[in-house]
Amino acid sequence: MNISDPPVKKLYYIFAGLFLLLLVPNEGISQSYLTKSGHVEFDSSVPLHSFTGVSDRLVGKIDLQNSTIDFYVDVHTIETGIGKRDRDMLETLDAENHPFAEFYGKLVSDFNPQNSQPQNVTVEGEFTVHGVSQPLTINGTLQKNSNGLHVEASWTLNMKDYNIKPPGILFYRVSEKIDVSISATLPPKTKTK
Amino acid sequence: MRFLKEIILFVLFLLFISVRGNAQMERQRANVTEPVETFWTPTLISQTTTETLQARNLNSTIMHSFGIATTNAIQNFFGLDNIQNVRLGLDYGITDQWAVGIGRSSRFNVVDIRTKYAIMQQTTDNSKPLSVALKGDLGIITQENRQPFKDDVSILLSAIVSKKFNQTLSLQLSPMYGYYSSVGAGQENHLFSLGVGSRITLSERYSLIAEYYPVIGKRNSDTNNAFSLGLNIQTGGHVFQLFFASTRWHLEQYVIANNREQFWAGDFRFGFNVNRIFGL
Repeated sequence: MNISDPPVKKLYYIFAGLFLLLLVPNEGISQSYLTKSGHVEFDSSVPLHSFTGVSDRLVGKIDLQNSTIDFYVDVHTIETGIGKRDRDMLETLDAENHPFAEFYGKLVSDFNPQNSQPQNVTVEGEFTVHGVSQPLTINGTLQKNSNGLHVEASWTLNMKDYNIKPPGILFYRVSEKIDVSISATLPPKTKTK
Repeated sequence: MRFLKEIILFVLFLLFISVRGNAQMERQRANVTEPVETFWTPTLISQTTTETLQARNLNSTIMHSFGIATTNAIQNFFGLDNIQNVRLGLDYGITDQWAVGIGRSSRFNVVDIRTKYAIMQQTTDNSKPLSVALKGDLGIITQENRQPFKDDVSILLSAIVSKKFNQTLSLQLSPMYGYYSSVGAGQENHLFSLGVGSRITLSERYSLIAEYYPVIGKRNSDTNNAFSLGLNIQTGGHVFQLFFASTRWHLEQYVIANNREQFWAGDFRFGFNVNRIFGL
C-alpha cells in the first residue's frame, strides 16, 4: 500500500489535520491561566498580637476547560515584618519538611468567561499546610479581563485542623484562627512562556 | 499502513501529553536565601551576638541582676532582695545589617549608646558559612560623682564571629577591647578579652546559653573572668532569659573591668532579661 492511494491519502490528511490541531498550544485550547506572582495574606487578629504575613510569590494555575484550580506558596516567602517572627513561623510550620501551603480543587459553580464582570464562584478541593490535608470549600470571585483571569478569595484556617500548634507559653497565645486571602491576576498561560 | 500506525501512536502520545499537562503543577521551592538564626536575641546574656534586627524593627530589652545568691541565701532570699543593676534598652534596625541602640543601667546611671553592623550573615543555603559583626558601645556615667565628664567615658569595640553548626549548637567568639577614660590604682585604661558564647537548643521553646569573658593580657586587680549560664525561653513574641551570672553588669566593657566574683566558687547571682521585638 502506498500513501498516494486515494483512501490512504484521505486518512493521511485526517491525521495530518489532527496533528496540526495538536500543535496549537495545548493551553490555548484548554483555557489555562498561570501566575507565579499572586498575593497571599495571612491575618491573625488578637489584641496586641495581630500580625499579617504576606507573600507575593503565590503560584496559581486555573484551567477553565477542566475546571481545575491549583495554587501553592512556598511558606519561606511569607514575611510578617519582623524577621524573628518569620523564623518562628517557619519553625511552627516545620517548613523544612513541609515547605508548601497549597490548594488543589475544582470549580464547582458556573463561570462565564465571556462576561467581564467579577463573578462569584465556589471551588471545592483540598488545602494542605504543615503536611496535613483537609477538604475545603472556598467562595471567591473570578473575573475575566484583558490581562487574563483575576481571582480573589478568602477563608479562615483553623490551625488545629492542620495540627499546627500556635506559639505561646506563659502569657501569650496567638489566635488559632488565621484569615487567609488571596488576590492574583493570572495571564493566559501561553503568554507567560 | 505501517506509516499510519506510527501517526496514530504519535497522536496518542500527544494526547497523553496534553492530558498530563492538565494535572497538578509540579511544586517548586522558591529561591529564598535567608540569614540563619544563630541566636535568638541580639544579646546573649550580656555579650552581643551577631543576631541583627530587620530594618524598622525595634527590640526592647529589660536586663536585671540581683545580689549574690549564695550569701545569706535565706535572709536575702537568694539575692533577690538586693537588686544590683537594671538596664533598660532599645535597639533599632536602620537596615537589615545596621542597628543602633541606647540603654541606661541603674548602676552609676550609665547611659550607653551603641551600634552594630553585620558584615556577613550565615545563610540557610550555607553560601555564607559564618556570621561576622562589628560592635561599638559608648558608655557615660551620668551619676553625680564630682569628676569631669571626660572621666566618665568608657568604650567597647568588638568583632563578633559566630557559627550555627546544626540545629542544636551555635558558637561565637568575640575579641573585644575596652577603654576607660579614668581608672583608679591597680586598674587599666585598656583591657582586652576574647568573649566566648554558646547556645544549645533543647527544643523549639528552650535553649541553654553560656558566655565567658577571659581577660587577655593585663587585667584589673582583684578581678576574675566572668561567666554566665542561662536558659532561653521563647514564647512567640518574647524571649525570656533566666540566668546565673558572676557579674552584675550588662555592658561588656564593665563586665571585663569589674567582675570580682568567681562563678565556680559559688559567687553567682540570679538575673533575667526580657526581649521583645516590635515592627514599626
